[in-house]
Amino acid sequence: MSECEWLSDRMPAVALGSSDWTGEEAAHLDGCLSCQAEWNLIRLSSRLGEGVGAELDPGAMTRAVLDRLGQSREEARLRRNAWGFAALAGTAAAAMVWAAQTVVTPVAPAKAPLVALQIQLPELDNLVPSELDAVLQTMDEPYVGGSVNDPAVASPDDEDLESGFDTWEG
Amino acid sequence: MSASTTPESTRSAPETDRALVAAYSGGDERAAGELIERHTAALGRFLYSSGADRDDVDDLIQETLFRAFRRLATWRGDASFRSWLFTIGNNLLRDHFRSAKGRRMLSLDAHDISDRRDPLSDLAAAEVGERIRQGLAGLPRLQREVFLLRTQEGAPYEEIAVALGTTPGAARVHYHHAVRRLKELIP
Repeated sequence: MSECEWLSDRMPAVALGSSDWTGEEAAHLDGCLSCQAEWNLIRLSSRLGEGVGAELDPGAMTRAVLDRLGQSREEARLRRNAWGFAALAGTAAAAMVWAAQTVVTPVAPAKAPLVALQIQLPELDNLVPSELDAVLQTMDEPYVGGSVNDPAVASPDDEDLESGFDTWEG
Repeated sequence: MSASTTPESTRSAPETDRALVAAYSGGDERAAGELIERHTAALGRFLYSSGADRDDVDDLIQETLFRAFRRLATWRGDASFRSWLFTIGNNLLRDHFRSAKGRRMLSLDAHDISDRRDPLSDLAAAEVGERIRQGLAGLPRLQREVFLLRTQEGAPYEEIAVALGTTPGAARVHYHHAVRRLKELIP
């Protein structure tokens, strides 16, 4: 550490009166313009604002601060209470909505169990399997009477209807 | 009251800041008064030196103390109570400057200061002091805080580092940067 750096580190303590220059330090300071400029700066800075806060009445300041702290605590307590009330009101509202839904909402009808479509055809009961197969083959045969878009089919006359019924009834 | 706790005996050994903080946290408002009395003047000087208008200093002191006492539990005692107060004051000052941008002091140029042959005369000292104050207000926050904690409180770099959340080496660098810039303002 150079002498200038050493002096620089010592300046605040000397400026605040908690230390004094040694003979060597004072001699260096006398001959070093850079250290003199820094010493001026530190000396003036250490006295900057002297008396600014000293004129305040600490008792009045204490009362003001403690009063504000009391008010702040009271406001915080009220805020907490308000939040608690809001939470309570919210819970109550939610409970009422839930209860209302429970009462008003109609119970959804239970789904009817899926039952296979059963068509009673007693005339088929006496048929043997081979006869049933023959009937099924007849039913599976595509309709050859024409398309539903066919004008003749779309607006059938009595003869067409009779013919159709004959086909379905065998 | 026993003889060992007479007012004289308690007065002879001033309580530490830590003890006063603990006492206040336990409900002893007298401890708050003691802390405020102990640190108000230094806090006022710090705020003023950092660039606060003299008219605003009282309000800033009160606001700083209010904020400090409101979150007293966050002071861990690693740094001194005063350094911690200064840090709160500096944050407050930054907000204050932000909200009053138009009233922020302007830095002076060299020609604004008359050529004084005797810098130690009262008037010249006041003028140079004002110049330093405005120079400080224009410094980066850490440089300003380190410089003021060193020059007005004589705080060692280790304590400054704890108070400002930096390292002693970095605090030293900030201090020397501040000194170099402020030296240029002195005739």
